[in-house]
Amino acid sequence: MRSSAVDKGLRTGVVFGIIIVTMFLIGFTVTGAELVGKILGTPSSSPSLLFFSIFMILVGAWAGASASARPLVEVDTWKRALTTGVWAGAMSGLFSAVIGFLFGELISNKIDPRTYLPSVSPESIKMFLFNQTPLTGSLILFSMLTVSGLAAAALSFFVRNNDSVKSSKRKASESVWSVIRSQRVSNVVQNKYTRYGSLLAFAILLIILPRVWGGYWNYVLGTVGIYIILGLGINIITGWAGQLVIGYVAFFAVGAYTFALLTAPEPHHLMMNFWIALGLGVLAAGISGLLIGLPILNLRGDYLAIVTLGFAEIIRILLKSDLMTAYTAGPRGIRDIAGPTIFGKPFNSDVDFMYLIIIAVLVVTFLANRLQNSRTGKAWYAINLDETVARATGINTFASKLLALSLSAAVAGLAGVLFASRNQFTGPDDHALMVSINVLCLVIVGGIGNIPGIFLGAFVLKGLPEVLRETESYRLLIFGVLLIVMMRLRPEGFLPAKRPELEKPAVQNLPGKEG
Amino acid sequence: MFWGLPQHLLWQSPHLLKRRQYFMDKPTSTSAQVRLRLERYIRTFAGIVIGVFLLWRVYNVIVLQHNFGADTWVRFGLAGLILGGMYALIAIGYTLVYGIMFMINFAHGEVMMLGAFGGFFTFEALRFIHAPTLANPELNFLNAHPFVSVLLAFLVGISVSATTGYFLERIAYRPLRKAPRLILLITAIGASIFLQNLAMLLFGPQRKNVVNPDILDRGAGWILKVSGNDVLISYTGIFSLVLSTLLMIGLYNLVQRTKLGRAMRAVASDRNTASLMGVDVDSVISKTFMISGALAGAAGVMWDIHMGLVNHYTGFLPGIKAFTAAVMGGIGNIPGAMLGGMLLGVIEAIGPAALGIDFQLKDVIAFSILVLVLIVRPSGILGEKLSEEKL
Repeated sequence: MRSSAVDKGLRTGVVFGIIIVTMFLIGFTVTGAELVGKILGTPSSSPSLLFFSIFMILVGAWAGASASARPLVEVDTWKRALTTGVWAGAMSGLFSAVIGFLFGELISNKIDPRTYLPSVSPESIKMFLFNQTPLTGSLILFSMLTVSGLAAAALSFFVRNNDSVKSSKRKASESVWSVIRSQRVSNVVQNKYTRYGSLLAFAILLIILPRVWGGYWNYVLGTVGIYIILGLGINIITGWAGQLVIGYVAFFAVGAYTFALLTAPEPHHLMMNFWIALGLGVLAAGISGLLIGLPILNLRGDYLAIVTLGFAEIIRILLKSDLMTAYTAGPRGIRDIAGPTIFGKPFNSDVDFMYLIIIAVLVVTFLANRLQNSRTGKAWYAINLDETVARATGINTFASKLLALSLSAAVAGLAGVLFASRNQFTGPDDHALMVSINVLCLVIVGGIGNIPGIFLGAFVLKGLPEVLRETESYRLLIFGVLLIVMMRLRPEGFLPAKRPELEKPAVQNLPGKEG
Repeated sequence: MFWGLPQHLLWQSPHLLKRRQYFMDKPTSTSAQVRLRLERYIRTFAGIVIGVFLLWRVYNVIVLQHNFGADTWVRFGLAGLILGGMYALIAIGYTLVYGIMFMINFAHGEVMMLGAFGGFFTFEALRFIHAPTLANPELNFLNAHPFVSVLLAFLVGISVSATTGYFLERIAYRPLRKAPRLILLITAIGASIFLQNLAMLLFGPQRKNVVNPDILDRGAGWILKVSGNDVLISYTGIFSLVLSTLLMIGLYNLVQRTKLGRAMRAVASDRNTASLMGVDVDSVISKTFMISGALAGAAGVMWDIHMGLVNHYTGFLPGIKAFTAAVMGGIGNIPGAMLGGMLLGVIEAIGPAALGIDFQLKDVIAFSILVLVLIVRPSGILGEKLSEEKL
């Protein structure tokens, strides 16, 4: 009979082996090496063997550490930790060595695997085998993963069970917390003037920064700002009222297209003023939300998700089709969309736009904050918790949900207007379903129902990928994994919403139900 | 925010609990009754108006304008039935999972896509195996033994999809068994994005041509004479239609006659009671996912054989449309899903021509049907079959 330690190690090893093989097959081993190189700060963009080795060692170490994590039942001993670590490393090493050997043999026989697996380039195979022959390369890979698994297991066991490390860790965290909780800090934080001062500093920062950091950052952060607005919007219906909307991009598209058609010279030559068109775009989006919600919101929650999804697809297909080309310029999209003006003067440089987006974000945040604490916000919260109870307490659930949907649609319309106006172009492909999934992801990752969480989510999910260009093609894959993992480990997001406990815990021994 | 919050506190409050119970039953107050009745009238009225308008439009196009002959309609109807068979197979998967777990398995279309890739790679692998005969030394296995090849492709596709379904449930959904439904739905969306992009990164974004065995060539078939014109009934189409019908009959018998089917129905109607009666709920749910995955995989291989093009996006639209079909037939209702799938396929094929609109818009028709069904008859054609507590 195998011991449970070996068993655990083998199981973790299989999982990590599959992960490594998958990473190899989708070409992520090269990207991972590039990322390591970028994080270590080397100027050369070409990934070297060193970075690849570091990447593989990290993966092996992760396998070893997670396999040798503190067991639930058994005693945490050196022997167990090392056994699990070494078996996990060896098993994942076996997987990668076999796959590396196979592909090495393939390319040495001049067969290109790219016909069926386009991500597996000969370069990535060579790198996977450390530029050696298939046999030596796979042996190196195997031993590297085994050793790193063993080392990580030993290290994690040491950190876990060494008293001096533990106590120093505790001391450090205690000292940090004691400073944070100390009277002096809280005095400073709660001081009125400090708060005003920091707000002022923040405002000055917001005014100065767009002028300083140049067009690229204005573009990136403008996108982040638009996504913050979208996130705040979807948060109203999904975060507060608890009704999932998948096709949120539909309202974004309605806003963008309404605005674009009203201001662009083609195809209608209306050339309306920016501010009027903005108002009409927001209004149109809000009304479309109202119309979608009318027949659906009385039904079970899932239907809203699917119907909005269908609505988004309908809108995208319609915009692309020949039927609507005369009205919406078809797949070409609408060009030369007007920028904002102030008293007849154009106000559309990238800096100006950054200001506009910042103002819009502030306004929407302010409104969202007011809404959250209003009577309506509390009604949404009640619907989210239990719709039947909410109805029983006298909330008109249908009207509340309808209001939430049209408000969030209107906010999406605002984001669409800003987006179209900034790019001076909008086409059907700007409104693919992926936009709404991104928005949903950022709200969920940041902390659904929580305004700071949405800011965080937008910066993490829209800002980081712009910075880490290498991961561009893997972004959606990582999104998918992130969603699953987040839902499992931390479904309330990184910055969970805090809600006041509206009711004290009920006393036990309640009087029995009456007839 | 839907979770981890003092939800249980609300529940424990005695007067709220009582009022909740009161409201769970049929609305007894007259105003609520009036509102419900009014809503039903409005829905019926809207249905009648839309129906009359559609009929008028169809009458105009078919009878008055008379652009197409009878042969075209037969051709469209046949294509719709074939497509509808595939939709029905996928829709059954949605309905089974929805009935048991009360979740929309958003990744179901991706399960079908992986099955399609399984079939595609089987064909490709068999094409490279030489099976020379005396008459033809260049012959490959695919053409030498077409029936074995097709059988193998179905086996591979079905097992890939069933395995995917099993692990999907095991890794993504099982830890969330007690979580709110929104979390399950978001997880399913995550799984869908993950599988789709994994397939794109693994196999590349371009569309792949599926090479069939020669006797199942897509252009080959029987010729039917309708009003003087030839209508091609392709072998692949008939093969798909027959196979999907057989699979549906098999599934219906499995659910109605076997012990596993009884267990599935028991879990669907009341999970807790079923587990008290000795049903292993976890294994039943696993098996449900495997069965629905297998059906989707079969649909995927049919897609390979009949449609001939496969890429990572193959499963997305059929998946959503199959969900539409499941809602249309009444979610949780297996015959409903079959009927809904067939109907949706036919409507989608005939619709653009019958309504006199562009063929680009056939996807719009499917989604509009979803919206219309939800407006006019939210419980579907054959009615939902969901347990009381879930409503």
